[in-house]
Amino acid sequence: MFYSTRSKLILSFLGIALLVCGVALLVGGQLLYKAVLNEATSRVSLDLNAARELYLSRIKAIRLGLHITSIGPIFRSALEKKDIQTLVNRLSVVAQQTELDFMGVVTREGKTLGRIGPNSIPKGNTPANPIANLVLQKQTTVSGTVVLNHEFLFSENPELAERARIKLLPTKKATPRSEMEKLSGMAMAAAVPIFDAGNFLGVLYGGVLLNRSEEIVDRVRDTVFQHEIYKGRSIGTATIFLEDIRISTNVLNPDGNRAIGTVASEEVTKHVLTEGKKWTDRAFVVNDWYITAYEPIEDIFGQRVGMLYVGVLEAKYADVRWKALSLFIVITVAGMVLAIGFGYIIANKMSRPVKQLIEASNQVSQGNLSPEIGPISKSEIGVLQKTFQEMLTSIQERDKRQRVESETKLLQSEKQASVGKLAGGVAHEINNPLTGIVTFTHMLLRRNDIPEEVRADLETIAQETERVRKIVKGLLDFSRQTALDREPTDVNRLVRQTVTLVENQALIKGVNLTFESGDGLPMVTLDRNQMQSVLLNIIINALDATDPGGSITVSTNIGISTSHPGQKGIEVLCTDTGCGIPPENLNRLFDPFFTTKDVGHGTGLGLSVSYGIVERHGGTIWVQSKVGKGSTFKVWLPTEEQSEGNENIGSG
Amino acid sequence: MKILVVDDDAIVIKSCRRILEAEGFEVTTVPSADEALEKVKYYDFNLLLMDVKMPKHDGIFLMREIKKNWPGIPIIVMSGYPTPETIGGVLKLGATQFIAKPFRPDELTKVVRQVLEKAIQKDSFPTGAGG
Repeated sequence: MFYSTRSKLILSFLGIALLVCGVALLVGGQLLYKAVLNEATSRVSLDLNAARELYLSRIKAIRLGLHITSIGPIFRSALEKKDIQTLVNRLSVVAQQTELDFMGVVTREGKTLGRIGPNSIPKGNTPANPIANLVLQKQTTVSGTVVLNHEFLFSENPELAERARIKLLPTKKATPRSEMEKLSGMAMAAAVPIFDAGNFLGVLYGGVLLNRSEEIVDRVRDTVFQHEIYKGRSIGTATIFLEDIRISTNVLNPDGNRAIGTVASEEVTKHVLTEGKKWTDRAFVVNDWYITAYEPIEDIFGQRVGMLYVGVLEAKYADVRWKALSLFIVITVAGMVLAIGFGYIIANKMSRPVKQLIEASNQVSQGNLSPEIGPISKSEIGVLQKTFQEMLTSIQERDKRQRVESETKLLQSEKQASVGKLAGGVAHEINNPLTGIVTFTHMLLRRNDIPEEVRADLETIAQETERVRKIVKGLLDFSRQTALDREPTDVNRLVRQTVTLVENQALIKGVNLTFESGDGLPMVTLDRNQMQSVLLNIIINALDATDPGGSITVSTNIGISTSHPGQKGIEVLCTDTGCGIPPENLNRLFDPFFTTKDVGHGTGLGLSVSYGIVERHGGTIWVQSKVGKGSTFKVWLPTEEQSEGNENIGSG
Repeated sequence: MKILVVDDDAIVIKSCRRILEAEGFEVTTVPSADEALEKVKYYDFNLLLMDVKMPKHDGIFLMREIKKNWPGIPIIVMSGYPTPETIGGVLKLGATQFIAKPFRPDELTKVVRQVLEKAIQKDSFPTGAGG
């Protein structure tokens, strides 16, 4: 089945479809995905800028709040009056309005005057305040990111210290570490110097603790990514790292909680935190792949203390890829279906004439010589169909010719047989009365007393009776075609002997009789006497037909039969330059009693008898003639005799 | 010399009688094999001249009967159908000679004389004389 033209064609089409679609699938899918990924990466990079602006604007807002507070009349009068309680109250109001987590005033000497929170008026020493100390030093406004240690946070507000405490969670790909807990916090803070008529009075400081804060990251998510949801999860995520620990994030753990306490991958940490470079690429975040952008966060001292991150869930883009791939696969499958369909149709179209030809050949082999071939195709198969048709036509013609030949032959045989029977019967019947005529004519002739005139008449009767006797004898010879007495014979020798018999007659008549013996003739099994009489008959006929000065050529050849295709044999040809045979006589030439000779010069049985003899040898006798040019008789005899059932025809 | 001619055709009988009587033979003629056998029973003949093809019992039958009962009588078979098979067949069955119809008078007398001479020679030197 796989060897049929149809299968091959379909497989070829399928192969092409698979190849084209497969390449399209790989190249197209990959290129498309890369383009999408690049697009996503550059977008995330821009998103990071937006996130940074949000971060910075928040710091700016803190600084602005502090600045305005520091020049406010309530704050000023309370500071002048050293009314710490009023000051603290004022700070609390401002902190609440500007959503600050810590806020306080530090004197020129570095002593904390008052602050918000439970421990608003500290007694004794307070832990070092990094941002206030910087302003004390520089006497200018400072704002930015600052890392606050546990002691400071605890002293400011134990709740803050507690909020800053972050338990580390194990994550894949994270940098391994020994500590289990992060106690320090990261804050966005600002501090402004307080001057009074050029005198430096102290510092107003305040800030927002970033640990566990949702403010910045969620604002990034909601404004930059517009809180786009994909399969129940936010596509856009933002994170603030303290060192490599997530302290503020909306990246979720598998349990749905914010992934606070998880650690950035070692690769990213090294790139961003250690080397201070921006990172934009795919990265494994907590539990998933994101298209990410990271940049380092520097604190007020210019130290890299953390990282800002934004990321987009890769799954969305992977899905785009999968959609593209599925589309390509659908196209591939459609292509294959089309290939099979087209292959099937084309193969059918191609193989229909071939199948019809095969069917036609079968019919021819079963004997139907005019089978249906179908419409002639315009392709190369059409040439085959035409050739096949021509072949059929020539077979039909040959068939017809052979049928005509064999019909003619059969007719001739039947004629021979019936005439043979007739001749036998007639001869027998005529011979009895003829006996009477012969007897009494001769008895009369014996008498001496008859007049000469009567004797002459009687002589005439006797002569003509003799002629009748010969005719009847010829008839008998014809009817009495005896069984063949065959023996292997050298045909050349037989023909030469026969020619020799006639040579004298030819010489006397002045006809040039020659014999050209063919080479390499096989021995033929035949009845020498009968075959000789056939040859003799033909040569004598030729001699009769040829005028003095003409010539007769007898030749032998290896010949192939025209009526028994493929059968080997020999042929004897006798060509004369005689008067020729008119076409109307050619067909009757082998009929019994047909003669063109003058009355008394032939019984008309010679060629008919010859025909019978040759036929019983399994051979054919054949003549070609042109009036005025001469005739050629050809006797063909098979070298391998087939069993012939008609050897006794006409005998008995 | 007595000769019995057997033939169903009157003209043949007439011809034979004419030729043989002219030669001085005593000729008896019959038209059938059965009548020939009747004649042979009651008369002696020196020679039997017979046809092959006859209605009812043919020459072959007659020849077999003659050879069986009167083997001494020479037989000349004449036929208007002188094929080699016919000639060979009758000679094998015991015919002394064969002559083809039509024959000229001299041909017949020659054959008859030959056969009779042969028969006489046989008779002249018998070891055990017969009749």
